[in-house]
Amino acid sequence: MSPASGPSAITLRGAARRFAGYTAVQDISFEARSGRFVSIVGPSGCGKSTVLNMIAGLLAPSEGAVEIFGVPLAGINRRASYMFQQDALLPWKTVLENVRFGLDLRGCPGRQAHDEATGWIERVGLRGFADRYPYQLSGGMRKRVTMAQAWIVKPDILLMDEPFGALDVHTRLRMESEILGLWTEAKQTVVFVTHDLEEAISLADEVFVLSAGPASRIVGRYPVDLARPRDLLEVKLEPRFHELFGTIWSDLRQEVLKSYERSA
Amino acid sequence: MSGPPNRRVPIRVWQLLLAIAFLLSWEWGSRSGALDSFFFSRPSDVLVRVWGWTVTGSIWPHLMTTFVEAALSFAIGAVSGVILGFALARSSFLAALLDPFIRVGNALPRVVLAPIFLLWFGLGIWSKVALGVTVVFFVVFFNTFRGIRDVERVIVDNARMLGASERQLIRHVLIPSALTWIFSSLHVSIGLAIVAVVVGEYLGASRGVGYTIAQAEGVFDTTGVFAGMTVLAAGVLIVGAAVDRLERWLLRWKPERADAVL
Repeated sequence: MSPASGPSAITLRGAARRFAGYTAVQDISFEARSGRFVSIVGPSGCGKSTVLNMIAGLLAPSEGAVEIFGVPLAGINRRASYMFQQDALLPWKTVLENVRFGLDLRGCPGRQAHDEATGWIERVGLRGFADRYPYQLSGGMRKRVTMAQAWIVKPDILLMDEPFGALDVHTRLRMESEILGLWTEAKQTVVFVTHDLEEAISLADEVFVLSAGPASRIVGRYPVDLARPRDLLEVKLEPRFHELFGTIWSDLRQEVLKSYERSA
Repeated sequence: MSGPPNRRVPIRVWQLLLAIAFLLSWEWGSRSGALDSFFFSRPSDVLVRVWGWTVTGSIWPHLMTTFVEAALSFAIGAVSGVILGFALARSSFLAALLDPFIRVGNALPRVVLAPIFLLWFGLGIWSKVALGVTVVFFVVFFNTFRGIRDVERVIVDNARMLGASERQLIRHVLIPSALTWIFSSLHVSIGLAIVAVVVGEYLGASRGVGYTIAQAEGVFDTTGVFAGMTVLAAGVLIVGAAVDRLERWLLRWKPERADAVL
């Protein structure tokens, strides 16, 4: 899965994005090496999604460059899958049709797409739900479908934008464990955006902190040296986890306070 | 008949009772002289007339004509509405260019077009179809336009990230989204198509239910007018039930019905 083209899967150099009248992010220099699980944290409204959308190719940077495996990105990032914060399943397709959608778009033979999709549906624990429509599923189940939909195309890069923000704590913990399990098998490069520092540390190899918006920048980069595989219930009890949390939080807190002041 | 509605008695029974009460009081009114039966006829006469038309088969060609006209206007209006709605939703230049013309076209009461269509297309079915098309077109057009414009951004982004080309995006995302709107307006557009062709027939035709009603009116045959209305209403109800089933099947992925724009 990890390509020979170089160790850097995603590189942003001095990337900025302006929208009519304001700058969302600026001077973003960011690197994610192939196979790493990277988190981006920051106060809400700091442009985390903007950074992710630039990596996805959904937004072109107003300044600077985005490189994917050493190749400048033009248009949609074909090597990435994206798990959106909102519900992005196609409501008129069943679970099975949604999961196999990426394969169908690539012209994969029908039989093979069906079998692979069925395999993924079982893997995410939705056996027996293949013929349901999204509205018939709970929030957690819809997220499982989204996971299968993103993973089935075997992307080199997975982009996740607060994918579990809307879930209750227990469902969320289970989904995080499943994400870690899948990632441990396939070792894609993951960029996981969240405002929850605990979630960021417990999942990632590296945590980037974005400053408060507008015109957010990256203000910190912290390697997370917790051993893998991690048990998400246990890892939060480790002393090293608390040290990391304390260090990163001291930076993040200032940004959160700034963003409170600006929005107040 | 007094007392609160009983839950064990289905609403259908109450509805039936209400209809019977209405018809009986109408019947009684016209027999007792409270209603002038020349102007109001009476349900029993209307029923006899409808029955007569049905057993002799004289009504079928008229009903057939009306429904063929309505079906043709629906088909032509829907196809042109979908095509133009799609084009305008995808091109903001076209949308801006044509916006005032579409507004003017939609603001025009369609009935005033009937005489001109009669002159252009003659007394046959095509003048009625033309009138029906002008009605159906706008309903379908606005719903297609809205359906495509309203498609959720994140669903489009998701499809693109999963590798959808422009053409696949249209097929898998934009058309299904527009279909929701088009189908939820199906009742309205089919109902309006029938109204339009009946009005067209009424104003000048040689066949059709509207023509039958106009003929009866011409000889002050109120029974014939009411009988024509009854036949038409029954036909529309049957078509409506069929549309209902089709809609339920096509929009089976939806938890509840969307409201259509008229």
